[in-house]
Amino acid sequence: MKFIKQHISLIFPMVAILLGLEFFIAFDRTTKGYENSLRDNYAMLVVANDEMSIDDFKSWDSHVYKVTEIEKSKILNKVDSSLQATKDSNIHNKIPNFYSIKLNKYLNEQELERVKQNFLKSDKVKRVETFDTLHNSNYGLFSSIKLSFQTFIVFMTIIGFFLIIKQMEVWNFMHSQRMKVMDIFGASLFLRSKVLIVMGLIDAIISALIASGVFYIIQNVWIRGKHIAILEDNVDALFEFHDVFTLCLVSIVIVMVAVFLVVINVKEE
Amino acid sequence: MSNIIVAQNLTLSYERDEEIIKNASFFVRKGDFVFITGPSGSGKSTLLKSFYGNIKPQSGTLLMGGLDMSKIKKPKLQELRSHLGIVFQDYKLINEWTVERNVVLPLWIAGYSKEVQQTQAKRLLHHVKLSGKEHKYPLELSGGEQQRVGVARALAKNPFLILADEPTGNLDDYSSNVIWDLLENACQQLETTVVVVTHKIPSVFNIPYRHFTIDENGAIYEVH
Repeated sequence: MKFIKQHISLIFPMVAILLGLEFFIAFDRTTKGYENSLRDNYAMLVVANDEMSIDDFKSWDSHVYKVTEIEKSKILNKVDSSLQATKDSNIHNKIPNFYSIKLNKYLNEQELERVKQNFLKSDKVKRVETFDTLHNSNYGLFSSIKLSFQTFIVFMTIIGFFLIIKQMEVWNFMHSQRMKVMDIFGASLFLRSKVLIVMGLIDAIISALIASGVFYIIQNVWIRGKHIAILEDNVDALFEFHDVFTLCLVSIVIVMVAVFLVVINVKEE
Repeated sequence: MSNIIVAQNLTLSYERDEEIIKNASFFVRKGDFVFITGPSGSGKSTLLKSFYGNIKPQSGTLLMGGLDMSKIKKPKLQELRSHLGIVFQDYKLINEWTVERNVVLPLWIAGYSKEVQQTQAKRLLHHVKLSGKEHKYPLELSGGEQQRVGVARALAKNPFLILADEPTGNLDDYSSNVIWDLLENACQQLETTVVVVTHKIPSVFNIPYRHFTIDENGAIYEVH
């Protein structure tokens, strides 16, 4: 019972932290697709006096990904179909050039404004339209969901870390006397901390396997059988096999740092 | 005979505290049995701690087996400690380990095989009259028995120097006698140097010994 209690008290907070991490990874992966579709459906409109190339735009702002010139005839057509019919070359030549600009990233309001100002620094650019109302409502919804989820994860992680600190105090209480005695008899740092290192490694791996198991069950038992379109579309992104190694690595690093802090804090009497 | 401990103008103090041992100069030869006595708080235990590097000299020189304790680095200190046998008044046994495992701790640290450890444990426990208690835990033993385990541990690796801090402080006469016999034998038969801090030298002691005393001012004298 004592043995199980010793292990559970580290495994429990570790699993909480790892679940938080895996939720973060999975959420990031599934939302990346949504973020990309928002990005692909969004374009800025730039009105310029002269003809411009993609390199001109890229030289003003590195977020520019794709530039499409909007044909003047289409614009004339939209303004007034009668104008197109006259085929007045004078009007045609006088209207400025319109460009649809796609960005390489989904930017927030401030970043969009910065891009706009970068374009407006050029004399060639007459006007920039960012359509920020539509953009902001999409971005706001998306960001608030992401932020609330991340807050939950951060909160969970903080609680996990507090529990680990508590466990470190327990370790210190349980192992410091042994480590002090071993130090007096000339044991190296590794020998003194070997028991803790082995215990920590085992607990770290068990924690990673439990967290992986939880996600595997969510993915393969809970979601796949539910036939909920929005979940089933992203089910593969929820948990990937290499996540087991990521969780193991993170778990081992956290536990080893905790062990190291306990060991170096054991002072001689 | 070569000197195992050499102190010259040695001054010891804890951080920010006043000096405990002041300007002490003395030497301990190989094979000496030394008692260090003095009133409570005079610095007997502090002096003993400086011998195994638990406290560094504030000034002066302290050489342990030729190693300068004021300049010694951790790896060298670990090596030195692995050749010492140390006995504490509060035993300092590892309570979650069996008696056998406690006794062979210095051998385990030095990387001796399981067989050597077991043989040595059996022999030592026989010497300290604790045969049959190999698999008991320290808290299952009396104070006297725990201290005998502590002495067995100190003798496990045939150290060149045994340091004992009030080894019989809280013990009954039987355990005290067993411990004095063991320390006498180690000194006489194995030529191990033994330094014992005690408030009282045993009335019956069978081998020649040297006696240092520390006064209230932290000065050390040899009593002849």
